[in-house]
Amino acid sequence: MGLANYAALTRDPIFHKVVWNSAVFTLGSVGVKVVLGMLMALALQQALVARSLVRALLLVPWVIPTVITALTWHWMFNALWGVVNVTLQRVGLQREPIAWLGQPATAMAAVITANIWRGFPFFGVSLLAGMQAIPRDLYEAAAVDGASPGQRFWHITLPGLRLVLIVTTLISLIFTLNDFNIVYVLTRGGPGTATHVLATYTYEVGFQALRWGKAVAVSMYLMPVIAVMIVIVTRYLTREE
Amino acid sequence: MAGRDALAYSVIGVLLLVVGVPFYWMVNTSLKTSAQLQSLAPYYYPSPATLGNYAALLGTTNFPTWMRNSALVAVGTTLTTVLVASLAGYSLTRIRYPGRRLLATTVLIVYLVPPTLLFIPLYTILRTFDLVNSLWALLVAYPTFTVPFCTWLLMGFFRSIPRDLEEAAMVDGATRLGAFRRVILPLTTPGILAASLFAFTLAWNEFLYALVFVHDTELKTIPVGLNDLMFGDIFLWGELMAASVLTTGPVIGLYTYLQRYMVEGLTAGAVKG
Repeated sequence: MGLANYAALTRDPIFHKVVWNSAVFTLGSVGVKVVLGMLMALALQQALVARSLVRALLLVPWVIPTVITALTWHWMFNALWGVVNVTLQRVGLQREPIAWLGQPATAMAAVITANIWRGFPFFGVSLLAGMQAIPRDLYEAAAVDGASPGQRFWHITLPGLRLVLIVTTLISLIFTLNDFNIVYVLTRGGPGTATHVLATYTYEVGFQALRWGKAVAVSMYLMPVIAVMIVIVTRYLTREE
Repeated sequence: MAGRDALAYSVIGVLLLVVGVPFYWMVNTSLKTSAQLQSLAPYYYPSPATLGNYAALLGTTNFPTWMRNSALVAVGTTLTTVLVASLAGYSLTRIRYPGRRLLATTVLIVYLVPPTLLFIPLYTILRTFDLVNSLWALLVAYPTFTVPFCTWLLMGFFRSIPRDLEEAAMVDGATRLGAFRRVILPLTTPGILAASLFAFTLAWNEFLYALVFVHDTELKTIPVGLNDLMFGDIFLWGELMAASVLTTGPVIGLYTYLQRYMVEGLTAGAVKG
């Protein structure tokens, strides 16, 4: 009873591995999502033809069930007949088939890929809306002063997007850090514990091993991190009222 | 400028390809026999295409039952959510009472607390009320995340409606609820549509709670039921991808009709703040 579960976890090498995996998965996914989302928003801002149609099409991965996303990538990463292996071999980038989901490093890359695919459109749409809210005359003034596109991005676009960028990134961090579906469906945390994250580990300890106290302790270690991020998001989102 | 346009369109082209390939592969796989799935010629399209996987899925598996369960839970959740969230959103933006701001902030906080932290406590609560292993478990659990999210979303829409409109109706003798129903709700239709779409999609897609709270095959929703089509290392990929097509279909269909409202709702929350 008491704090025994919490104390035991600090000495548990599997738990350490799970925390590390969660950090890699979350920071790797969110980092790429921010970059891709920014590219998507900049491209849509620049290209005028069929902007809302393209925006709608690119947002589709974000609305379909995550389980289906994970399942489809599972099949695409299949070692024997998956489209990733077959295509890489056909174009000559790879000689032998790779067991993507069967090796620690590639399995982590695979779950991150599926998460990015699902999540970057949310960044793109939010950032585009943010860009459209930046007053046009700022850009016109900068153009008159002879600012280059790069300078306009650094001195007008990026500062103008600060709020949207912070809020969207934090919300994405919260939900990526707690992602269960993609890892569970793609790898079940494997091979071994190579892709186990806090959410899948909590589930396994609680509902497979039926060690509830330990499972709650695992998820409670997330609490302080999540709480800090929630407080910051809430601050930003309620500030204007 | 032409150079930047070309660059923008190439980025868009690449992103569309990245987003499109998995969907193409899903459909392609669903139209192949298992022999065709293990053949490299042809590999990138089904030849001949077959609907055998769809027939097997609908005829020999529990998929139709899971689909019915998913629809029931999603529709039920949507109705509860829209009713509660529209009243809550209205109250939090229009009626003055002590603790209102705190309550509004709490709604946002509750939305941001992820299911990973909640599924074990929720499970014990549902067990106390003897709701585990029934669709009621999901009908009770899903509004815990759809209501806060949709309330927050609708507050943005309610705020954009001028107060004078309902005040005029109330001066003319309407009750507050009457003014809400006849004046405010019709003006908030885009918001209500966005909220319904989000509630339906979130419930239709949900996996963790469905996995933990429901065990019997006949009570499973689609995302969890699909596990029954995997036998150890044997995955019936043809049927699984056919199921994926049928599961994403309704969401994409709804989304096609309502995406304008959805994007509006999504960006209103993210940008305004």
